[in-house]
Amino acid sequence: MREITFSEALGEAMLEEMQRDPTIFTYGEDIAKQGGIFGAYKPILGKFQDRILDTPISEEVIFGSALGASLAGMRPVAEFHFADFLFTGMTAVANQIMKFKYMTGGQGKIHLILRGPDGISKSAAAQHSESIETLFMHIPGIKIIVPSTPYDMKGLFKTALKSDDPVICFEHKMLYARKGPVPEEEYYIPFGKADIKKEGKDVTVVSTSRMVHESLKASEQLAKEGIDVEVVDLRTLVPWDKETVLESVKKTHHLVIAHETWRRAGWGAEIAATVQEEAFDYLDGPIMRVGAKNVHIPFSPPLQDFVVPDYKSVINEVRKVLNV
Amino acid sequence: MFEIRMAKFGLSMETGTITKWYKHPGDTVKKGDILVQIESEKITNDLQSPVNGFIKVILVNDGESKAVGEIIGYIAETEEELKQENKQETPPTPQDNNIEEKTTKAPIAQPGKRGFVSASPRAKSLARDHSIDLSTVQGTGPEGRIIEKDVLDCIAKHTQTARKEPLSPLRKEIAERLFKSYQSYVLVTNMTKVDMTELLEIKKKLIPDVSVTAILIKCLGGVLLKYPEFNVHFDGSTMEKFSSVNIGVAVDTGRGLIVPVIKRADMLSAAEVNEQLKRLAEYAKKNRLRGEDVEGSHFTITNLGMMRTDMFTPVLNGQEVGILGVGRSVKELVVKDDNSIAIRTMAYFSLSYDHRIIDGALASIFLGGLAEVIENESLLKEVLKI
Repeated sequence: MREITFSEALGEAMLEEMQRDPTIFTYGEDIAKQGGIFGAYKPILGKFQDRILDTPISEEVIFGSALGASLAGMRPVAEFHFADFLFTGMTAVANQIMKFKYMTGGQGKIHLILRGPDGISKSAAAQHSESIETLFMHIPGIKIIVPSTPYDMKGLFKTALKSDDPVICFEHKMLYARKGPVPEEEYYIPFGKADIKKEGKDVTVVSTSRMVHESLKASEQLAKEGIDVEVVDLRTLVPWDKETVLESVKKTHHLVIAHETWRRAGWGAEIAATVQEEAFDYLDGPIMRVGAKNVHIPFSPPLQDFVVPDYKSVINEVRKVLNV
Repeated sequence: MFEIRMAKFGLSMETGTITKWYKHPGDTVKKGDILVQIESEKITNDLQSPVNGFIKVILVNDGESKAVGEIIGYIAETEEELKQENKQETPPTPQDNNIEEKTTKAPIAQPGKRGFVSASPRAKSLARDHSIDLSTVQGTGPEGRIIEKDVLDCIAKHTQTARKEPLSPLRKEIAERLFKSYQSYVLVTNMTKVDMTELLEIKKKLIPDVSVTAILIKCLGGVLLKYPEFNVHFDGSTMEKFSSVNIGVAVDTGRGLIVPVIKRADMLSAAEVNEQLKRLAEYAKKNRLRGEDVEGSHFTITNLGMMRTDMFTPVLNGQEVGILGVGRSVKELVVKDDNSIAIRTMAYFSLSYDHRIIDGALASIFLGGLAEVIENESLLKEVLKI
């Protein structure tokens, strides 16, 4: 199978769906001229004239107008540039986009996508490095996709472009250049369907996005010690695939949840709580969570490494869970 | 002082097992009194006292075994001897028996027992399912927490608590003989369905007291005379041909299978066969068969008809070359040659034979000949002499 980058996968998804559906259009900061700061829109540049627009730095307007356009029958894909910038337009997102369907008794179909990069890169510091997906899981009203591979990126984004609910997509900066197999033929990946990236029998590691790759790396190291890790990639957080996680825990009896966002009240706590509620009798050890330490992401590279989890953090927690 | 030694009750007997002492230390013994019951590989015998006196010491307790000729106890022939301190032989401290028990006491959950035990939910759930009291399980998790592995180890230990018990002499003999003989021949079994209706009818009308097995022994006796190839022993190189028809009958004693022998079955009447059979079966069950009762069989019949078995593959007895297995009788709809339908009582007969010296065709002819007698009223009456 051919291999393309994560970034190209997103571009292909946009291209295919924009060709199919004339109501899809996209806008944000540095998109039309630059093709997005990570170049994801290069496949659609110059192909759709007024359907790719640059905007001023004005998040409140970008997100608010997306709601309006959606209500007017369009399918806007609004870019937030950096996940950290979502806060600037948060009234439009949390108070309008995420509530509108509920407050109109379901009369308004809100088909819009908020998308953009999140997570760490090389010393982007506290305002350009955050992972804040938990906030959108906590507040009701939006679906969350957090892909880890080009294949998942394309399949999930194409599904998002057909969804009749608001969707937010977090694309990890470190993944854009990552290559992976993506079939030529068209496909969609349903929401709420986790992917077992590696089967194992000793311990389940649930993760998303960049931490899937860290977890896989951890599993390779642990395999040398005879520890067989199962890596479950949730792929979407709202909805999240409870059945697959429970099934895996019932098999391995041990669970670690690994995410890049802060450990304190990170979404891993929700998974842990649910598993202990619904698979209590299957747990043979405490559920451990891997997450960033409770500070903002530092500029200093050694400090960033100290705060943000990687495969070594996963290995540590697996050892604790298995008591080895 | 008289030495009681393990007696030899048969040519092949090498060890004996004490089943029961009738006399105990201090008891008065008269010549001819039964001292002890001893079980050998095949049979059980009583040992009589050849002297008068008192039981001084018993060296081999009930359930224990000793080689033939070894001392199993002493009889004091005078009261003085009884009182004398025993210098050489001191009775061993009574052991429970020779059953080896390797049990770590099963920690079974006691109902109502409460109190916190540090264990993972998985361990607790497993313990619950297997009725294991966690307070008896050693935890190997962090801070001594009991984890799944500890409970699994405990369960594994439990399953090993099965007691190790030596086989009874009878079962051991069966096992050894079967293993030896089964490897020494080529066993093939032919089966056919036999119409038992005539036989059962005649039994009911004319000889109600004679068992089906006894009637079948008579039928078998006739057919064996006609096909003497089956009335032989074969040791792998030579055949021993017999003129008399001795038929072994497999009897379940509850302790194991034993095969008492109806000798000269061809010469006996059905009633006589029945009489002998009753006696032998009863002796077998009471463990009172004598050596001669279980020797000299030329061909064996094993009848599982009273139980739920239709066909089976019986194995040969000793150096015999054939054995007949009789399955249960079942009423069936049978289409006769004239296309009429009748309700008949049918049973499968399974003839196992040593294929080295009996060919399949001959076995089929033998089985057919037997079926013919059983299915034919006049042939039956002729065989049964009624």
